[in-house]
Amino acid sequence: MLRHPASARQRETLLPYLLLSPGLLLLLGMLYPFFLGVYYSLTNYYLQYPHLFRFIWLRNYLKLLEDPLFSHSLKFTLSYAFVAVVVQVGLGLAVAVLLNSRIIGRGVIRGMMLMPLMMPPVITALMWKIMMASTKAGILNYLLSFLGLGPVNWLGAMNSAIVSIFIIDTWGNLPFVSLILLGGLQSLPTEPYEAARVDGASGWGVFRYITLPLLKPFIILAATFRVMDSLRIFDVIYAATVGGPADATMNLHMRAFFYAFQWYQMGMGMAYAMVLLILVFLASYILMGYWKRAAEQTSL
Amino acid sequence: MTTFPFGLTFCRWVRRLLLAAAVVALVAWTVFPFFWILLTSLKQPLDVIATPPKVFFQPTLQNYQAIFIGQKRGLYASARPDFPNFFLNSIIISCGAVGLSFLAGIPASYALARYSFRFKEQLAFLFLSFRFAPFITFLIPLYILFQQLNLYNTYTGLILAYQLISLPFTVWMLRSFFMEIPPEVEDAAKIDGCSWWGVLTKVILPLSVPGIAVTIILGFMFCWNAFNYPLMLAGRQTFPVTVGAIQFISYEQVLWGQMAAASLVAVVPQLILSLFVQKYIVRGLTMGAIR
Repeated sequence: MLRHPASARQRETLLPYLLLSPGLLLLLGMLYPFFLGVYYSLTNYYLQYPHLFRFIWLRNYLKLLEDPLFSHSLKFTLSYAFVAVVVQVGLGLAVAVLLNSRIIGRGVIRGMMLMPLMMPPVITALMWKIMMASTKAGILNYLLSFLGLGPVNWLGAMNSAIVSIFIIDTWGNLPFVSLILLGGLQSLPTEPYEAARVDGASGWGVFRYITLPLLKPFIILAATFRVMDSLRIFDVIYAATVGGPADATMNLHMRAFFYAFQWYQMGMGMAYAMVLLILVFLASYILMGYWKRAAEQTSL
Repeated sequence: MTTFPFGLTFCRWVRRLLLAAAVVALVAWTVFPFFWILLTSLKQPLDVIATPPKVFFQPTLQNYQAIFIGQKRGLYASARPDFPNFFLNSIIISCGAVGLSFLAGIPASYALARYSFRFKEQLAFLFLSFRFAPFITFLIPLYILFQQLNLYNTYTGLILAYQLISLPFTVWMLRSFFMEIPPEVEDAAKIDGCSWWGVLTKVILPLSVPGIAVTIILGFMFCWNAFNYPLMLAGRQTFPVTVGAIQFISYEQVLWGQMAAASLVAVVPQLILSLFVQKYIVRGLTMGAIR
């Protein structure tokens, strides 16, 4: 069958859009609530008083600046993400190096590391919640007592609750970081190492000046995913502490949830959500830029 | 110089010991929570709160019985437990979400993998950006919309909401698998007179069966893990297991044993399915960025 060349070409240009159309339809279905949410953040939408509904421009955002709850949540969100990512990437690197060395049962351990990774974060939090019982009946406190350390009120006191959230989060996500970095370690070229051996470099020198620079794109990629996920951590906090005690673990995500679904101030909740969204996108934009540059440098 | 076993020098001997200690610590850290939740799920209520914690006790299956069949409370026959429904809900919603994502995602990812057109990268990035958006930005407007559209507490509504999880994943994952197929294979089929439909169904899809299987399984697992959307958009009739598991915490009491049993049952599909996709989990979690 002969086709008219012009119409065939036109079909080629339209075809990708045609193929994309069901996906785009769903995408629009997801973008609509998003823009609706942006609009709500500019209103004083109270779920219980719909007749008071008014467009109030940026007043929600101006209110945020004076809200002590906001500055507290913002500080906690940023500092948690920073500390969590630095520690988790550091530990993840150590675990990756460990799994990359010659040890017995490496494959089994690697497979085992996948188990926490695929757990629903809520269930992970519930598992740890059982172990973190505040009295001596809690297994963690029992184990600590062998080291002569007193019972810790894990999820019940302000500082320890933050640490507990961090422990739960790390248990679930350390494998993610270490498996990315392990994949990176295993993909490194061998030539620089041979050259270093000829030059008589020390083990630490090789790691510091050869392995780390070559691993940089992988480190940045793992950090990018962790930064974004720890900025918006929700499931673990909800199941473990619900933001408490005394707001100690109340990050922006939890606070937005409280405003919207406990106090029914949908407009204010959306304003919190938008601030969080902007933070996440700024962080991802910066880190993705770093990643691209690092990937180009190491030509990966 | 002193000799040490296996003819190692002192320094290397210490290093081996440290390495072994690190491995043991890593294994204990990873496995112990599973071990402890298994023990807890087999304990009677009094054994759960015993001081010091009991490792040896009379195991009982009553927690599992309680979440699946129900238990007698005093004289009253117990109500039928919700947990089997939660489990079924998880299966229905996850399968529905993955199915819908596939219908829309296969042609979309094929277009993004093979054709060049305007706004291609921007569109692809738009799909990706849903992976990083905080849930609450969608949850608040969806909650209001679903109340108005009568989609609140329905499977349809939840399946649509879960698209935020499964569609971006499906598109990026399939795209990365489609891009691995050399274009020459396609060109050959085109020369033989295949239309794009023929190329897709006779060449691309059969060649990427393993990739599609991986994408289905991982997509299902990610939907299974979802917690935020069902927490606010589902009711007791449509709760999945993730929300169901926290129902054992109430103001009056925490049913630790039953919660442990429910948590374990809730992750059984994850543990089984992850055996099949071991090599691809990191790739899936990074949306195909790491092969």
